[in-house]
Amino acid sequence: MSEARAPSEERGGSLGDTFRRFMLRPEAPALVFLAVLLVAFSLSSDKFLSGPNFESIVVSVAVLGTIALAVNQVILSGEIDISTGSMMGLCAVAAGAVATSTGGLVLPLLAGVAVGALAGALNGLLVTLGRIPSIIVTLGMLYALRGVILLVTGGTWITGIPSETRVLGTGSVLGIEYPVFVLLALFLVMEVVSRHSTWGRNVFAVGGNRRAARFAGLPIDRVRFLAFVLVGVFVGIASIIYLGRAGSVQTNTGTGLELQVVAAVVIGGTSISGGRGSPLAALTGAVLIGVILNGLILVGVPGTWQQAVLGALILLAVATDVLRRRLVGDKA
Amino acid sequence: MSAATAVLRRLKFSREVVLLGVLIILMVAMSLLSPLFLTVGNLLNTSRFFVEVGLMALGMTLIIITGGIDLSVGSNLALVSVAVGFSYAAGLPLPLAIVFGLVVGVAAGLFNGLFITLLDLHPLVVTLGTFALFQGLAYGLTEAQAVSDFPAWFAYFGQAYLLNVVPGQLFIFIVAVVVVWLILSRTRFGRYVYAIGNNEEAAHFSGVPVRRVKLALYSGIGLLVGMAAVIYTSRVYTARGDSGLGLELDVISAVVLGGASIYGGSGTIGGTVLGVLIIATLRNGLVLAGVPSTWQVFVLGVLLLLAVFLNEFFRRREE
Repeated sequence: MSEARAPSEERGGSLGDTFRRFMLRPEAPALVFLAVLLVAFSLSSDKFLSGPNFESIVVSVAVLGTIALAVNQVILSGEIDISTGSMMGLCAVAAGAVATSTGGLVLPLLAGVAVGALAGALNGLLVTLGRIPSIIVTLGMLYALRGVILLVTGGTWITGIPSETRVLGTGSVLGIEYPVFVLLALFLVMEVVSRHSTWGRNVFAVGGNRRAARFAGLPIDRVRFLAFVLVGVFVGIASIIYLGRAGSVQTNTGTGLELQVVAAVVIGGTSISGGRGSPLAALTGAVLIGVILNGLILVGVPGTWQQAVLGALILLAVATDVLRRRLVGDKA
Repeated sequence: MSAATAVLRRLKFSREVVLLGVLIILMVAMSLLSPLFLTVGNLLNTSRFFVEVGLMALGMTLIIITGGIDLSVGSNLALVSVAVGFSYAAGLPLPLAIVFGLVVGVAAGLFNGLFITLLDLHPLVVTLGTFALFQGLAYGLTEAQAVSDFPAWFAYFGQAYLLNVVPGQLFIFIVAVVVVWLILSRTRFGRYVYAIGNNEEAAHFSGVPVRRVKLALYSGIGLLVGMAAVIYTSRVYTARGDSGLGLELDVISAVVLGGASIYGGSGTIGGTVLGVLIIATLRNGLVLAGVPSTWQVFVLGVLLLLAVFLNEFFRRREE
């Protein structure tokens, strides 16, 4: 810091420096891992790296990725949300019910987003005002919301979703399928929000060091509350994509999704202890999960192993995060 | 103000009494809902269901007192159940298969403990991962198949009656309650558990072997889960990968209802036992009243939130 480096030395080290800086980014290991996997799978199966297959992978993780982008903010703020599976089911029920009675795209979307935002706000209120740990709040909500789904539907399926509602799951624009389009658009929005909005910066501050953030006068509760509401809104949007792709809603819609979402976020490189990560991490993690699940099928691993693979990936991701921080010497 | 705090202090002092009152009110309500409820046969039969949750709740109480949590107990139960069933189906004598199952349970708990202590990770992240991993292993290893051709004597663990009326597993539970209660309230280890929950750093600097205590706790709950799994498998007479799905909610709810603070530092075995009884009464009553099982889960979810909220509400009032 004190001594200026010789120009030649700087030039010699610049490539290494760029590499080092890249490796210090939170999502770097996941991106490297993704690249390695893509090469490995395309060597073992020539169908894998064809354009349509890769696009179908991204389509298959559009719901997961959309929710992961929002849960990413919750985890960045130092909290967690494991209620998204049931929340997605409830939003899909609301959107599906509106779709079958009125049709159109806007009204079902609004219904899904409104129900999601309401559920997210309840999570947020219980965490901030109720001062209950978010893991307990969202664990309780995971089961409670599933009960609400049963109450509302009476255990029956919602079918016959009109095609104009399904456009977000089935249509395409400029040759790109809508789910991919929506996912990338939301990703770009979150990158901008996370980097350039006050709330986006505050999320990092609150998650990195809550006490310091409080002493700095940041509205800790409002920051976290908004993160939970954002999850609800994104879950609502994701439920419309789901509705479009599935064409029906069952009472068990979204079961187990919450684990995949958390897995996507932490595998992507966002630290589970908060304060460190990026929207790119959530997106990378979601695509990585899609590639792994797709690749396992191509290699011939039975679907019963999916859950075990997810669990192992979560553990691997959090362990790597700890070990990397120990190596770099970055505390907290 | 001072009168109010005095009342609240007495309320805290008599938390077990309040829970007992809740239990009695609940039983009266349930017996009004269904005439079958308040029969000796039904009450004893109810114990068949709460012993499994109860055994796990004993271990969970100690873990929650240290400020930790174990979300993987339901999945671990499935793993042990599958380990017993499929090792027996593969030709291992049943007694050895049961021992093997218990070893698997302890190993799974130890895995949690090692992961948590060696990497300094929060238990909720680790056990969220193993929640998926254990359940996934139970599914994957069995290819979603089931084993149910056990010999007749295996029913002893989950279906036998002692003296023709008392379910056998009730005795196992009572012994476990006494043992865990003695450990928590009468040994140095028990003091360590509270010390870690109150202030882990201070406990560490006071010479408490924090890591070893945690390792013992997570392995210990593995053993209790193993016992619960053997009883469960014997009771339903089937070993399959989706056993114990969602049981962690019952277990955590019972412990929190019993007054253990989710932030650590406080909790009692007596409170937990009452919490287990209340949840069992609620579940049994709802079954008799013909409420579908998904609704029971809804009730439990709300109950968990309510219990934690009230706990923390009263705790903050006291401060």
